[in-house]
Amino acid sequence: MNICSLVVHARPERVPAVAAQLGRLPGVEIHGQGEGRLVVTVEDTAQTLAADTLAAVNGVDGVISTALIYHYGGDALDEPLLEEEHS
Amino acid sequence: MKVSRREFIKSQAAVAAAAVAGVTLPATTQLLAAEGDEGIRWDKAPCRFCGTGCSVLVGVKDGRVVASQGDPDAPVNRGLNCIKGYFLPKIMYGKDRLTQPLLRKTDGKFDKNGKFEPVSWDEAFDVMAEKWKEAMKKEGGSSRVGMFGSGQWTTWEGYAAAKLMKAGLRSNNLDPNARHCMASAVVGFMRAFGIDEPMGCYDDLEHADVFVLWGANMAEMHPILWSRLTDTRLTKPGCEVHVLSTFENRCFELVDNPIIFKPQTDLAILNYIANHIIQNGQVNQAFVDQHVNFKKTATNIGYGLRPNDPREQAATNNGYPDPDKPGERKGDPMAAEAISLEEFAKLVEPYTLEYVSELSGVPKENLERLAKVYADPGKKVTSYWTMGFNQHTRGSWVNGSIYNVHLLVGKISEPGNGPFSLTGQPSACGTAREVGTFAHRLPADLVVMNPEHRAFAEKVWQLPEGTINPNIGYHAVLMQRMLKDGKMNCYWQQCNNNMQAGPNINDEMYPGWRNPENFITVSDPYPNASAQAADLILPTSMWVEKEGAFGNAERRMQFWRQQIDAPGESRSDVWQVMEFAKRFKMEEVWPEELLAKKPEYLGKTLYDVLFANGVVDQYPYEGKVVDERGNEFRNAESEYFGYYVQKGLFEEYRQFNTGPEIPKIGHEMADFDAYHRVRGLRWPIIDGKETLWRFRGGYDPHVQGDASTLSFYGNKDGRANAIFAPYDPPAEVPDQDYPLWLSTGRVLEHWHTGTMTRRVPELYKAVPEAQIFMNPNDARKLKLRDGQVAKVTTRRGEITARVETRGRNRMPEGMVFVPFFDAGRLVNKLILDATCPLSKETDFKKAACKVEKA
Repeated sequence: MNICSLVVHARPERVPAVAAQLGRLPGVEIHGQGEGRLVVTVEDTAQTLAADTLAAVNGVDGVISTALIYHYGGDALDEPLLEEEHS
Repeated sequence: MKVSRREFIKSQAAVAAAAVAGVTLPATTQLLAAEGDEGIRWDKAPCRFCGTGCSVLVGVKDGRVVASQGDPDAPVNRGLNCIKGYFLPKIMYGKDRLTQPLLRKTDGKFDKNGKFEPVSWDEAFDVMAEKWKEAMKKEGGSSRVGMFGSGQWTTWEGYAAAKLMKAGLRSNNLDPNARHCMASAVVGFMRAFGIDEPMGCYDDLEHADVFVLWGANMAEMHPILWSRLTDTRLTKPGCEVHVLSTFENRCFELVDNPIIFKPQTDLAILNYIANHIIQNGQVNQAFVDQHVNFKKTATNIGYGLRPNDPREQAATNNGYPDPDKPGERKGDPMAAEAISLEEFAKLVEPYTLEYVSELSGVPKENLERLAKVYADPGKKVTSYWTMGFNQHTRGSWVNGSIYNVHLLVGKISEPGNGPFSLTGQPSACGTAREVGTFAHRLPADLVVMNPEHRAFAEKVWQLPEGTINPNIGYHAVLMQRMLKDGKMNCYWQQCNNNMQAGPNINDEMYPGWRNPENFITVSDPYPNASAQAADLILPTSMWVEKEGAFGNAERRMQFWRQQIDAPGESRSDVWQVMEFAKRFKMEEVWPEELLAKKPEYLGKTLYDVLFANGVVDQYPYEGKVVDERGNEFRNAESEYFGYYVQKGLFEEYRQFNTGPEIPKIGHEMADFDAYHRVRGLRWPIIDGKETLWRFRGGYDPHVQGDASTLSFYGNKDGRANAIFAPYDPPAEVPDQDYPLWLSTGRVLEHWHTGTMTRRVPELYKAVPEAQIFMNPNDARKLKLRDGQVAKVTTRRGEITARVETRGRNRMPEGMVFVPFFDAGRLVNKLILDATCPLSKETDFKKAACKVEKA
């Protein structure tokens, strides 16, 4: 299970548009807004991983930067990890 | 109110973010979060990755790290974390984590061509020590062995390694991977200011009116500093951001003055700015008169290549042995001659707007806008740079040239005004630079070439006079050449992955590692490219599996406690160094005449002399470490050796930088226990008070007087050096056969070679493989489409990868970028091992390549 929160920075005039786009992403919830900032949580859904959604948040038009604040990864730490291939 | 655990954690997460952002949340969310915790023990630790030095709260439950949070009490990141910080807890839990030493063997015995088999630590160190002793019996003695460390080592790991090599084995063949990262910055600091590391601090991010990025992709490589910069840009009226790069990166999303320049012409652009300042009468004459010496640097210095390379044969000031005059050297690339401001003005005069615009390909209006912000006395300017300046065959020059600009206008050492070298690694400063892990250095900016410095180190380390070798050891690139040539036979790499990160892998690195005469040891948590190329792999404890200290780019030293146990038989690097020292009797490593000066060392081991010396072992270990809230932590090294290892090492190290008799002032540090209580402190620290802006009265305790007083006390005359350096072409330029520039570098999601981050499924998925970033017109000409596999070839080899023309990096025509995190594509094997002749740092940004359909 992955749950994380982030602060999303956008140019102040674009915050409403960014909020609208973010709201359409799976597992994303907007908790609050300030001058050029949004407080957002992102979590795994049945179809998506929080990590992919985070990348999508970065790609939203008008987003200047995102900063992670909190992450809970409890159970997910046991999932299989990857080995490195080598050339 | 009954809520699910999920809802509870989500509300906690939201509250933490809102606190950082200064946003008010609905009362219900806040109430929910206040309900209680999940039985998690929280403690602080600096992040494992970049040089920013963010503090992270680490949540441990049942011996595992289960959660993390940006540390709201940390002045650096103020509760923020970047994407890599989010995945920090997962880096320790990769499936292929190494848990036992592995030695190449056939029929039960070491065999260079054998297969890796698990062995005990005893067997591992027995075989390794035997090889080291054998090598040191050959001609050249201790120059036959060497160690390659890291800017990701903790402070005491680097200190212990420096002591083992320099004091114990009397070999200066110790260099860190930081050589590939910021050696040019070090030379820049030493030549201009006589003391290493930035004068300013991150507080400049809120004070400056103008930010100029010179070859620093802060948006991806220092995301938290970038978010502070973004905040200032968006909230401070008149604030502007200028970005200089050889291609468009993510920083261009915020840019006011975008500047794409042709590789290497940063040298010329800086001279143009100096010329503009002088021509327009905007030199801060009072400042220059009082605080600045002018010099010009030696030229025709070569490219740090092998002496038989035609480019070196043509160089008259590369410092190499002169083939025509036995015993003499060809000049000195470090040399600089004193000149007047008028002469300096004459030297920069040819760098006119017209000439530099033509040379760099940058439109005149962009160059002029840039020059004007530096020249304008009403604007506070902070300059940032990272690998663009440092990984440069004229890296030491270009670092100097940015100081020239700031010194001409006196914009330095005060809030918002200053040149600031960002570092790549978490402890490039706090370990690699400060404790003496470079081939020429001793702790606290002392150097092996200086007899007084050696004498001081010998006194602190209780060594007889003449113990420390006065000759500079092999630097990173030279080590590889010496291994290949069989002149160095034993090599121990810790805490980095040079076989993937280093340059010219196939021609100059791999052959030395597999040379049958050589024995290669790699300490790492994972079987990365280096481990697989080694003879012995030692499993290493990482990050919060040990007690540690990192020093970040703003001189801030931060400590952490051991949070969890390392898996299996993993041991920390400091344990490995100290335990290995037990394998050497003094009689085996020191000549009789040296031991005769300290007969009490007869019959002892290197461990006894270096570590059980009454200083390192003076602090008792009470069986646990307890914090001020009563939380308890283990400390594996102290349990094993029977004393508080980290405290003893740190307090001995502190004798080099703090106290009445130290040779060089300005690096004073607080005591060990103080660091455990705070979110780091910026040195120099006098009477418990940290220093934000060095060299200026009112901030720096070493400068008497108010904020109008300045002293560049690193230099004996208290003045800074502005050193003119001209534009020089790179070692290799595109031609008919190899028509494109190739630059390699990093991406946000991965840390360096991906040893850790590629083992985190989410990060792996986010950026699974390296791509060839190129311009759409170049791709079209080569009949390549996005996503198609193409081949990149240089004179040193080839790799294949998919073409990307629309991604995060927008390339100008003629330029290609490939990240180096991908172990499936060792792109740095394509890089020429040319270095800055002063700093010996490789240029990873300017190879000539061709791209074809695969």
